[in-house]
Amino acid sequence: MATRDRGFEIETFQWVGKKVGFYGSIFIIALVSVFPILWMLITSLKQPANVVTFPVNYLPQDPTLQNYRAALEQAPFFRYLLNSAIVATGTAVLDVFLGALAGYALSRLRFRFKLPVLLLILGTAMLPFIARLIPLFSLARSWGLLNNYLGLIIPYAAFQLPFAVWIFQAYFKELPDSLEEAGLMDGLSRVGVLFRIILPVSAPAMATAAIIVFIYAWNEFLFALTFMTEDSMRTITVGIALYQGEFQYPWGTISAAVFMSVVPLILFMLFFQRKVVEGLTATGKA
Amino acid sequence: MANTAETSSGPAEQAAGRQNRLERYRDLRFTEEELAVILLTPVVSFLLAVSFYPIFDTVVGSLYTGYVLDIEPRQFVGLENYAKLWNSGDFWNAMKVSLIYTFVSVPIELVLGLGLALLLNRQFRGKYFAQAAILFPWAIPTVINARIWAWMFNGQYGVVNDLLVRIGIIESPFPFLAKPDAALGAMLFITIWKTSSFMALILLAGLQSIPDHLYEAARMDGASRIRQFWDVTLPLLKPTLLVALIFRTLPAFQAFGLPFGLTGGGPAGATTTLVLYDHQITFNRLSFGQGSAAATVITLIALGIAMVYVGTLYEPEVR
Repeated sequence: MATRDRGFEIETFQWVGKKVGFYGSIFIIALVSVFPILWMLITSLKQPANVVTFPVNYLPQDPTLQNYRAALEQAPFFRYLLNSAIVATGTAVLDVFLGALAGYALSRLRFRFKLPVLLLILGTAMLPFIARLIPLFSLARSWGLLNNYLGLIIPYAAFQLPFAVWIFQAYFKELPDSLEEAGLMDGLSRVGVLFRIILPVSAPAMATAAIIVFIYAWNEFLFALTFMTEDSMRTITVGIALYQGEFQYPWGTISAAVFMSVVPLILFMLFFQRKVVEGLTATGKA
Repeated sequence: MANTAETSSGPAEQAAGRQNRLERYRDLRFTEEELAVILLTPVVSFLLAVSFYPIFDTVVGSLYTGYVLDIEPRQFVGLENYAKLWNSGDFWNAMKVSLIYTFVSVPIELVLGLGLALLLNRQFRGKYFAQAAILFPWAIPTVINARIWAWMFNGQYGVVNDLLVRIGIIESPFPFLAKPDAALGAMLFITIWKTSSFMALILLAGLQSIPDHLYEAARMDGASRIRQFWDVTLPLLKPTLLVALIFRTLPAFQAFGLPFGLTGGGPAGATTTLVLYDHQITFNRLSFGQGSAAATVITLIALGIAMVYVGTLYEPEVR
């Protein structure tokens, strides 16, 4: 009996140890992940004199919002955020539309040259962005698309289109054939099947593609830096990257600016996290 | 299939409204082939115009002088731009930086990502928040990350220095971003921190698509956890590993925002990646011809990397 109790104790001990180890590692990983953002928040709330101390203060003494006021006075961050939102939304809408059509054709229709077309579309994803920058810059300049939302939406949509097509074709491939057959039996044409049956059930793929493309367009920097030269047209990434501030090392105001720019993303991730994960996982599965 | 549908008329009991809705699509009858052409034409022409044409133009442009925004007429110079690159120490330095950056960060990310994926591939309380937290680094724009870490790695007041001093690893603050090797190391650290979670999520998908019964079968055969990992998990994860590797290697090879925001490529070019170098010669020195040549070289290397991966890891789909 004693040995059985002993065994039970050891098992309990191991079980507790495993739980602690598991949750402990998850906690540490999560902390390491969010620490830099936390650190920006802490820095942004400090009095300027308190920002540049060593050893570092881990809590702001006498917290202040003056860094936020200073940041907003020196650069139009809300304007940057609006620009990013417009560009990212436009890109996502365009890619969902085009991606769904192409994804349907590639996954559910039989036609010649399917493999070459698929390779052409997916192969585009392998091409470096820098190799498209100079000609697109020249084109955007001659068409008056510099400092224009379309000047970013068009290239972003093209760059992420392979990804959107991939998500849709992976999703459509999993749909049962009976779904379409039922529509065809009802007298629908193929186009009818696509618009009345397939697209309505593809909301999950649409959300996934839209979110992934949106995040890409929101985060892009190379083209945004090159194509948007007027301050009022800058996206948030460019606005933050070029933000200098009035003094030499205004780390308090820079932290405030960075934190403001990250808040929308934090909310976005908390709302759409599941979708983002599904999106990335859909890519991995396909 | 489209033809068989043509002859079937809807059952009489169907509601009139439904019939009307169906009517709208009656006339839109195409063969599968025709419909595929209609659906794919916009996408393919869009890609040809916005992705393929520019690449072609870059390759052509690399054979010309192209200074100061076309004010001077272009002149054909053959491979001169490439010769200049070949003889440029800065170009080779950028190549070295990019290759180190890519081939050090990606394998580490892969290992860490796989570990993370194995941790997340369980149900546990608070998983939602853990996942959201772990995804933050990936969701935050690279260049903003760069600004954040530039402050954290600050040589005088940076929190990284403070932590290292407190732990006792260093005695006084170390100017990470002012020393060539340390700056590159910091850049590697940041990118690994940022993208391991992305790796993890892609791999997590692969893990979740492995059917449970395979593990059960392996357990029945008496396979240990470690054996199961090598014999079941890894082989079945191969297609996902391919996707993850391509999705990380190609962007890493094109790193731009991180060096731009962290160090601006310094100190002494220690963190100047190929794309940053290319951007500098194109838009600072306004040497479009040489910029195009560098872009062409980057394209060739990227395609080479992709081909090696696909060649090694691709398995034809069984469907």
